[in-house]
Amino acid sequence: MTFIIMHRRTSHTLAGLAICLTALTGCGKTPPAYFRPNMVEATKQRLTPDQEQQVSTILLAMFGTPDEPVCLPETGLDEAKLRLAAGPVRSDIVGRKNGLYREHCAHCHGVTGDALGPTAAFLNPYPRDYRPGVFKFKSTERADKPTHADLVRVLHKGIPGTSMPSFALLPAAQVEALAEYVKYLSIRGETELALMRAYFELDDDAQGKLPETREFLIDETLAVVADKWKAAADAEIQVPPMPADIDLVASIAKGKELFYGGKANCVKCHGVTGLGDGQANDYDDWNKAIVEIGKELSSGATAAREASTSGMSPEELAEHRGQLAWLEKFGKVLDGDALEPRTIPPRNLRHGIYRGGRRPIDLYYRIHAGINGAPMPAAKGTVPPEDIWHIVNYVRSLPYELDGELGADKPMLAKDRF
Amino acid sequence: MKAHAFLPCVVATLLAFSLPASTSARADEWGTLKGRFVFGGDAPVAAELKADKDVEVCGKHKLLAEELVVGADKGVANVVVFVRDKGVKVHPDFAGPGDKVVLDNKDCRFDPHVAVVRTGQTLVIKNSDTVGHNSNVATIKNSPSNNLIPAGGEAPVTFSSEEAIPAQVTCNIHPWMKSWLVIRPNPYAAVSKADGTFELKNVPAGGELELQIWHEKAGYVGEVTIAGKAEKIAKGRKKVKVAAGDNDLGEMVLDANLFKK
Repeated sequence: MTFIIMHRRTSHTLAGLAICLTALTGCGKTPPAYFRPNMVEATKQRLTPDQEQQVSTILLAMFGTPDEPVCLPETGLDEAKLRLAAGPVRSDIVGRKNGLYREHCAHCHGVTGDALGPTAAFLNPYPRDYRPGVFKFKSTERADKPTHADLVRVLHKGIPGTSMPSFALLPAAQVEALAEYVKYLSIRGETELALMRAYFELDDDAQGKLPETREFLIDETLAVVADKWKAAADAEIQVPPMPADIDLVASIAKGKELFYGGKANCVKCHGVTGLGDGQANDYDDWNKAIVEIGKELSSGATAAREASTSGMSPEELAEHRGQLAWLEKFGKVLDGDALEPRTIPPRNLRHGIYRGGRRPIDLYYRIHAGINGAPMPAAKGTVPPEDIWHIVNYVRSLPYELDGELGADKPMLAKDRF
Repeated sequence: MKAHAFLPCVVATLLAFSLPASTSARADEWGTLKGRFVFGGDAPVAAELKADKDVEVCGKHKLLAEELVVGADKGVANVVVFVRDKGVKVHPDFAGPGDKVVLDNKDCRFDPHVAVVRTGQTLVIKNSDTVGHNSNVATIKNSPSNNLIPAGGEAPVTFSSEEAIPAQVTCNIHPWMKSWLVIRPNPYAAVSKADGTFELKNVPAGGELELQIWHEKAGYVGEVTIAGKAEKIAKGRKKVKVAAGDNDLGEMVLDANLFKK
């Protein structure tokens, strides 16, 4: 299994080493797990091999390996929890289960949390890539991180309508450890992105090398990422409770008006039928990034192929060849480090399946803050809280609505409805 | 308590000293940088966009792709030029956060196509259309936002960090709508007009400044040709000497190949 999820571009020496090791130790041993570098970003930023190496070295010092996680105090993470989640699946000296992440999560989310585990390609929707640090289902404002409790809730409840199962049967301490480990992978992934992007901003006299100072690496990079996670604990959206004496029928009617109205504009994407068929060709942020790179690459490749080399000076020719080589490399990176992009359909609100939780307050959070990473915008500031509650009530009534915009005044067969 | 009572005194002293300094912002210490971006090749024809959402409103307008706008005189519009130097001296006219910058959702496009704001300056995203929009601001260092902007509505946004790369602003309801937001720590950023000209006013004179040149299709522009001489500028960075008064960089030709990516 470790071989399957091994990084495709492992250097030849490493592969060679693996073969030697296998020869020496027989078939029982697997090479140690390692974090895959974010090759899409590295290639996008045109990092040199030396720069890729510098990022890997810095990350190794800051975060350790999948078997031996390191957590610096600035991350605010609990190392004991991380150790329970990290490493291969095994029992420790007191018979306690270790390696929880690899047991329960890695096959989809990948050892690195890059959503490139061996089963990822077969799932729809794809598993979450933790590295950009963007999470959808949470009680905080759109751009804020989820609270620890939000992550625990997703683990506990699973995500209905997706391949994410519930881990409610695990002991609470194990769920805790997994939530902590997801934060660890996320902070690591975001730090990696920040480091890779920092090369672009270097002055010429830095000679393409990031300063390995505490100020830059910790204060300006790691702490900036980690502080957002720490801030999430107090960033829960303050929701005015739904009025206890609310007239549900009237509220649903008001919510329906808002749903179709120009202010909340739900209808534009969720469709006049609420079946989620209003806006079908949009992407979420993870897929959009790949789509845009793909477009840039294909037009760049066409331009490079069409360019005439006859009038080029030796320098221009060298640059042209460099560009061709880069285009080819990026094409290969996308082949192995990204899955085929998929559009994100707006939710079909007549299924009664709510990915982020079915409690009224879950729907309130989604409407108020929008969904981070997805096209769903935030209604806060535009739609007042009492109106958001009306929309919540209408949306919750949609799976049971028999007449209305579907145009049927009698119960419909499920096959006709969906 | 005593220290506090003393404070106004200190402030007054500081002001007294800073006053002559600001009046010494004489004309000979500041210059204006200008130039014109010219397309090196046959001017491309902008593709017509298909408005397939809110057709009754958006379909009325002839919407053209704005990723590369070249005028009849080959001027390249929407090229961003800014001063990269950290801690660059800022002319006293620019004191304070500056006036509000407006990014309008108008006729089912963003107006302007490229907007410039300073950190701390307020960007008002408004909607002059009769249909609802949303504005998805994909910043990297600043918190990204995606607010509903109903017809006639507006949403103010401010940014605390500069962005190394202009941030894309899109509307998810009308996917053809795209614009860019340049967020800089100083007021020295300009966007070339329809004729390709740009102007940076009141930049510090008497030294060298590092400009950075960006265009949405070309990215950071890697090469400019001035008076027939091609000059490679890595990451779009170009050093220029600034004298007091007008500094005309002249016509800067951007080869058509730069935009083929």
